[in-house]
Amino acid sequence: MTDGRQPYDEDDRILAGEYALGLLTPEEVTRFEARLVQEPELRALYAAWAEDFVGMTDGIAEVTPPPNLLSRIEARIFGAAAKPSLMQRLGLGWVSGSLAAAAVAVVIGLNAGLFDTGPSAPADPAYVAQIAAEDGSLIVQAAYDADNGELYLRRDVGGAASGRALELWLIAGDNAPVSLGVLPETQAGSLTIPEGLRAQLAGGVLAISDEPPGGSPTGVATGAVLAIGPVSPT
Amino acid sequence: MTPDAIEEQIARTATGDRAAFGVLYSATSAKLFGVALRVLNDRSEAEEVLQEVYVKVWHNADRYRANGLSPMTWLITIARNSAIDRLRKRREGQVGLGAAEAVADAAPGPEALVVQGSEREKLVGCFAELEEGRAAAVRRAYLQGESYAELAAAFDVPLNTMRTWLRRSLLKLKECLTR
Repeated sequence: MTDGRQPYDEDDRILAGEYALGLLTPEEVTRFEARLVQEPELRALYAAWAEDFVGMTDGIAEVTPPPNLLSRIEARIFGAAAKPSLMQRLGLGWVSGSLAAAAVAVVIGLNAGLFDTGPSAPADPAYVAQIAAEDGSLIVQAAYDADNGELYLRRDVGGAASGRALELWLIAGDNAPVSLGVLPETQAGSLTIPEGLRAQLAGGVLAISDEPPGGSPTGVATGAVLAIGPVSPT
Repeated sequence: MTPDAIEEQIARTATGDRAAFGVLYSATSAKLFGVALRVLNDRSEAEEVLQEVYVKVWHNADRYRANGLSPMTWLITIARNSAIDRLRKRREGQVGLGAAEAVADAAPGPEALVVQGSEREKLVGCFAELEEGRAAAVRRAYLQGESYAELAAAFDVPLNTMRTWLRRSLLKLKECLTR
């Protein structure tokens, strides 16, 4: 690509090719990348090889990834922002700060066909949430029916460890986390939200922790916080 | 989706546009998944790699412009490198690949232009001009992440011979591709 105009060093041309193929030693890689930042010509040599070599993938057939993969990716990206502070809150209790604002910033869009299986989920939920682990290893969809106070839950990915239970928590405003109960062992199920807590769902955050069977004996989360997700209006 | 349209979605993704990110994923994930599957030959590992790839894409979309690659090359290279990295973790004592596709730089290099598809077709012809086995070594390095030592063992030649072969092949290949 550069030829004729810029007769570049032959060794660098080879080096850029070896780098693009991944044939350099760790030391060579470090040296090459340090130069790469400084030298546009070297970047051009690398870019030309990258374009050339990618031709080797032309014959590789496309394969559609599983349908839930994008939501797992989104959970990793968008679920991560609020996690540390919320985990701190659950694990350590009160931590002041504009957590509500942080929670609003990580609202995750949900697809319309969310509750196509499981118990009779609300056709028109007042609130929904995706409660997801940062690494996508646990993803639970939630939808709240304001008419009967039921929170419908569907586990899309992951589940409780053997001999353990998953407990659902509501964090509303600056209040301490309140248990909403142990998640049903079935993939889909529902929990009744106590009347006194229903008004607090709006703007709240749902979290799932790892607990002994039957849930935390103390009323506060005793195990690791596995997943979180903000509650958003539909 | 055309290269321009993919570039547009990458540019929007760089501004934090989640809808554009979703569009980008829909348009490109099947190709990238195919590449990861080809390298890893393991579905769950390929799924894991594909997640890593798009997390990287989200975080590095603002750097795309600076690296001078065409949009699909950028995406496929991230996918290929991530898959090779994982493959090498399976094997022992191997270094991960470099991160040049994510190197940031304010000023685009002189070659920051889109390479046309015809160049890719040339690759096949130029591979054919290499001596027997040499093209296969380049392919194995690219698609299986094999090191010089592994290639030398596979082709039953001394390490330095393999290194010399491959470097000469790269020069020949480039000479052919640029004529």
